[in-house]
Amino acid sequence: MAKVMVVDDAAFMRLRASKVLQDNGHEVLQAENGADAVRQYAEHRPDAVLLDITMPEMDGLEALKAIRKIDPFARVAMVTAMGQQAIVMEALRAGAKDFILKPFQPDRVLGALQKLLAA
Amino acid sequence: MRAEIINPFLQAASEVLESELGSAPQRGAIGLQRSAYTSNEVTAVVAVTGEVAGMVMFAMAATTARAMVSKMMGQDFDELDALAQSGIAELGNVITGRAAVLLSEAGFTSELAPPMLIVGRGTMISTLDVQRLVIPMETELGSLEIQVALKLTGAAAARRAA
Repeated sequence: MAKVMVVDDAAFMRLRASKVLQDNGHEVLQAENGADAVRQYAEHRPDAVLLDITMPEMDGLEALKAIRKIDPFARVAMVTAMGQQAIVMEALRAGAKDFILKPFQPDRVLGALQKLLAA
Repeated sequence: MRAEIINPFLQAASEVLESELGSAPQRGAIGLQRSAYTSNEVTAVVAVTGEVAGMVMFAMAATTARAMVSKMMGQDFDELDALAQSGIAELGNVITGRAAVLLSEAGFTSELAPPMLIVGRGTMISTLDVQRLVIPMETELGSLEIQVALKLTGAAAARRAA
């Protein structure tokens, strides 16, 4: 079982992904913006991160870059509204391993986590 | 309002509602909203800026809102608490986000503001001179009314006028 950080400014989406992960036995950390995610990553070093792109204070792309500075091997999947292709491509170039489209289904969340953990 | 603005919302709402609720919604006849007052108990509002600007509203009964977030979360919500409100706001946000992508593919760039929620009937939401189109959607969990009050601005309006 993995320690996973879920990052989203929308409480509902954060808890929804967390519930899927916890129901499948994973430990979950939650962060509500990019800056919070960077702080928590440095402190807790989760095994994987599900990172929303559009957030206040620090967006997902900036948070991804900051997390990768802390840990070049960080395993991060971006969570995005359908069709933000340009940002997703930039995130993949910046080191994200996968992406999940909103609205997401539980199987897709677990599949992305499996892919991250195998990376 | 032009079909090229309204059609992305029809497609986005159908796609997202089917994905979130597990069954395809039925669309009713599109009409004009005459009243500026909310007639439903819950209204999510997403502001749009850019070449297409204005606001999009998602209105529904409180029972429908609770049923929808219960389905999305996989657990019952007995009241429309802060978490349930966040879920309805996000539903509106994801539909509008998907529509914005489709608008972009049609040549109109736009950005979204964070969603907000109005709870209670009878609140006046004036869109001033922007026409408000209503798209009724019938889902297995209740009715959802999408109100689209958008107009072309700046370069996009000039392109269409040329």
